[in-house]
Amino acid sequence: MCFAASFSDHFNSPSPTASVKILNINWFQKEANGNDEVSMTLNISADLSSLFTWNTKQVFVFVAAEYETPQNALNQVSLWDGIIPSKEHAKFLIHTTNKYRFIDQGSNLKGKDFNLTMHWHIMPKTGKMFADKIVMTGYRLPEQYR
Amino acid sequence: MDWQGQKLAEMLMQLLLVASAVAAFVVGYAMADFQLMLLVYAGGVVLTALVTVPNWPFFNRHPLKWLDAAEADRHPRPQVSATPSTVGKKKAGKNK
Repeated sequence: MCFAASFSDHFNSPSPTASVKILNINWFQKEANGNDEVSMTLNISADLSSLFTWNTKQVFVFVAAEYETPQNALNQVSLWDGIIPSKEHAKFLIHTTNKYRFIDQGSNLKGKDFNLTMHWHIMPKTGKMFADKIVMTGYRLPEQYR
Repeated sequence: MDWQGQKLAEMLMQLLLVASAVAAFVVGYAMADFQLMLLVYAGGVVLTALVTVPNWPFFNRHPLKWLDAAEADRHPRPQVSATPSTVGKKKAGKNK
């Protein structure tokens, strides 16, 4: 019964949408230890209601900044996360500063092109977990500290 | 409950549990309600218990036909007797 419930999730083909706007770079500086840190104000909107099936307990969602540096092909910094408890809460618009600090391990952020990626993990009542993401490209940090 | 009744009870239990699981999934999926699925299955388990646990009359349609007690007296159990003479014979046989 539980297996069948979990298996029925495979027939759900979700069509989630997400968009993130950077409203403001609040400040952008180099810390005493040499790491770059930036604070920004974000507008996160998404409609993840199609992810919910009858076998969905909740959905964990987070927005990560992803960029490339000479040392690492992929850097991921989580900026915001949230737990969506039900389908009714799956369509949201959130205006926030980055919940977790956006710090680079080094000084690579000046003028850096980066992606904002919305990842989610679907937690079922029984059975298999699913994870997916939406990549949003074309963001760029300022050339100068401010 | 007789032997045939026990077999029937076992079969009924398996059948009812599987049937209620299938029915529960169909109902749960159709109504998109996980809790309803579990409730339907719980109902199926209770029903199965009511059908198979009590000693209903239809579990007693093949009563065992016991022999009459007098039959035992007519065929007495063979008595084991170890007399000294037989023991001596065995020992003699070994010595040869």
